Amino acid sequence: MSPRVLVAMSGGVDSSVAAARLVEQGYDVVGATMKLFCYGDDVPDRPCCSLDSINDARDVAHAIGIPHYVLNLEDRFNLHVIQNFVSEYSRGRTPIPCVRCNSFTKFRDLLAHADALDCDYIATGHYAVARDGGLYRGSDPGKDQSYFLWGIDRQVVARMLTPVGELSKSDTRAYARRLGLTTADKEESVEICFVPNDDYPSVLERHLPPDAPALVPGPLVTTAGDVIGEHRGYARYTIGQRKGLPGGSPSARYVVAIRPERREVVVGSAEELAGHHLRLEELNWLAPPLKPGDACEVQIRYRARAVPATVLVRHEDSLSLALADPVRAITPGQSGVLYGPGHRVLGGGVIA
Amino acid sequence: MRPPVYLDYAATTPVRPEVLEAMLPYLTTQTFGNPSSAHRFGRAARAGIEQARRQVAEAVGAEPNQVVFTSGGTEADNLGIVGAALAARERGAAMCAVVSATEHKAVLAAAHAVCHLGGREALLPVNPDGQVDLDALDAALADNPAVVSVMWVNNETGVLQPMSEIAGRCREAGAVFHTDAVQALGKVPVSVTELSCTLLTLSGHKIGAPKGIGALIVRDRKAVEAIIHGGGQQFGIRPGTENVAGAVALGRAAQLAAAEQPSSAERLGDLRNQLAARLKAAVPDLVVNAEGSRRAPHLLSIAVPGADSEALLMHLDLAGIAASSGSACSTGAVEPSHVLIAMGVPRDLALGAIRFSLGRETTLEDVDRAVEVVPAVVAKVRRLAGVLGRAGGTAVRRYDGTTGENEAVVDVGKKAMGGQTAKAPEEAAAVPPYRRSAEGSG
Repeated sequence: MSPRVLVAMSGGVDSSVAAARLVEQGYDVVGATMKLFCYGDDVPDRPCCSLDSINDARDVAHAIGIPHYVLNLEDRFNLHVIQNFVSEYSRGRTPIPCVRCNSFTKFRDLLAHADALDCDYIATGHYAVARDGGLYRGSDPGKDQSYFLWGIDRQVVARMLTPVGELSKSDTRAYARRLGLTTADKEESVEICFVPNDDYPSVLERHLPPDAPALVPGPLVTTAGDVIGEHRGYARYTIGQRKGLPGGSPSARYVVAIRPERREVVVGSAEELAGHHLRLEELNWLAPPLKPGDACEVQIRYRARAVPATVLVRHEDSLSLALADPVRAITPGQSGVLYGPGHRVLGGGVIA
Repeated sequence: MRPPVYLDYAATTPVRPEVLEAMLPYLTTQTFGNPSSAHRFGRAARAGIEQARRQVAEAVGAEPNQVVFTSGGTEADNLGIVGAALAARERGAAMCAVVSATEHKAVLAAAHAVCHLGGREALLPVNPDGQVDLDALDAALADNPAVVSVMWVNNETGVLQPMSEIAGRCREAGAVFHTDAVQALGKVPVSVTELSCTLLTLSGHKIGAPKGIGALIVRDRKAVEAIIHGGGQQFGIRPGTENVAGAVALGRAAQLAAAEQPSSAERLGDLRNQLAARLKAAVPDLVVNAEGSRRAPHLLSIAVPGADSEALLMHLDLAGIAASSGSACSTGAVEPSHVLIAMGVPRDLALGAIRFSLGRETTLEDVDRAVEVVPAVVAKVRRLAGVLGRAGGTAVRRYDGTTGENEAVVDVGKKAMGGQTAKAPEEAAAVPPYRRSAEGSG
């Protein structure tokens, strides 16, 4: 009997192709779409959220001849991802809900379902490569999604298949077209799935009281401590932001810090935005843990270049790194992902 | 692999051969005409429609000119409820729709639509046995509602409502009474003359006609206003060129369903009772929902403590058994059944509810297969619920492998309900049950 794989199908082209390739490779494939949230509450008789995506996934599953199910993980997604998203912004940080989702919901819950379904493996349409128990960057540098995967359990990696990890996006589309999959030319989703129109403050407004400190005006200060205006609520700003700051200024000004305890948003120059050190918390290792003095590369944003770094201090749950070159806009709440030789993901943490 | 076993006849049925034979001429060259046309082609099609009206009327004890064909049960429910509210407004009366908390989504959403039109809706709570609280009905009738809607047979539990008492009270109060009889026809005796309801909904695909045809029995044309507008067909109550072949199919299917009802009910009841008894023997803590209530013979709603219905259905499907949860969202995601919640079933238990429904094609072998497969699936899914699952507690591990102090064990189900596990029926009735789901499965 061929090994059974539970493949997470979002309804997008990548996971569609992932499922199709597994079928082609002879696996016994079961498709599942995780229903993570619902904003249909206010509209009683409209189809709830994500119906189109689920239909697309179902359609592809039918076309490639595999069963397909919908797993309702709304409660768990709300608990682990949305509530964390809100509390991180309340703390003046800029979270990456996709990392939380991958760590807590997508992979861990998927693996539990896979066990119950007697599946040997799980698979997704991520552009990353799981190989011999290790996780590596995807082959297409423009698409690599390993940055979002540092927090998954190590035993998940050992049972994970990444059928599109070594394809380029155009390979993936070409493959989907060749099979006539309906999702072949579907537009890429770049938004956070539960944040409509990229308007994250509206999500915070829904979950927080109107007088929440994160959402009400507070002082806009310079790095020297001068109050130069008022901001609209610190949760509406992120480190490195230049646009949307009140008032004019002769030189370019950026958000360089957020101090939630004083409700301050601090602005400064481009130089003041650069950092030489990094502290990571909530560590997760996908390789043997690094020790003080060890070298690696660290990437601090999805679209940033990884820079050489050296481990200074390591505690059980946190790690300090010295960066070889200063990097711009080190943002608390974002992920710091550690890479080793061969583009292997060594681990990562949340920037403190 | 053995052929899969279908135990979801309350969701839909295959078209019966007799029905297919009756409708085919109306799809092809012989009788394809528009029933409104004056020529011979039109007359031939018209004859088909009229014949179907007579058959449907006879099946439920109505008059042929009381049969209004619709696109299905959902449209008939909407026409009945929204149409009656609009008629009330026309008369200068209040637009108020009173519906039971355990209605099909089509009725609940139609009642909610009445609110959007400027009227009101009221939900009647049900007792733990699933029957409407008659005192609450009396209280609601005191407000002179435009329409009261209570379903004949519940599509999830099979519970039969005290129809004549409800109908009698509505008649005395002068309220239009609508009943959704979609799951009743062919399973229990259905007669509008004995019952004295004003409006009654039927659906074709539950009784061996194709999807896309249903009917509303309208015994008083002043009781409803059209909700779609067009060329005046069907007494102006439901304009639009009739679905002739569909109507013909419904006519034949209704005729067969009514004729076979006594023998069919006996056979299905036997099989259903066997299935229930043998499942309970194999899974001792399995709960049969509304077990002590008067129920239609083809439905069996069970709840498996500590299991998640979504996982049960998935595993059953993979093992070749097609069942359903009471209340599937059109995405296929599973919500706890609003019907069970309204009956006061604890949410944790309602999350483990699934429905088997039997039909004309069901055999004893099908029941045997289910009895063989279900206990193993239950055992497997219960193990899963330990790790995951909305019904049970969930250990949340932090990144570092330790267990976080404040998130050691979180009962997800309870958390989502604000700490409640069970709801009083009155309270449950206040929760809009149409929320989050676009479509019922039955």
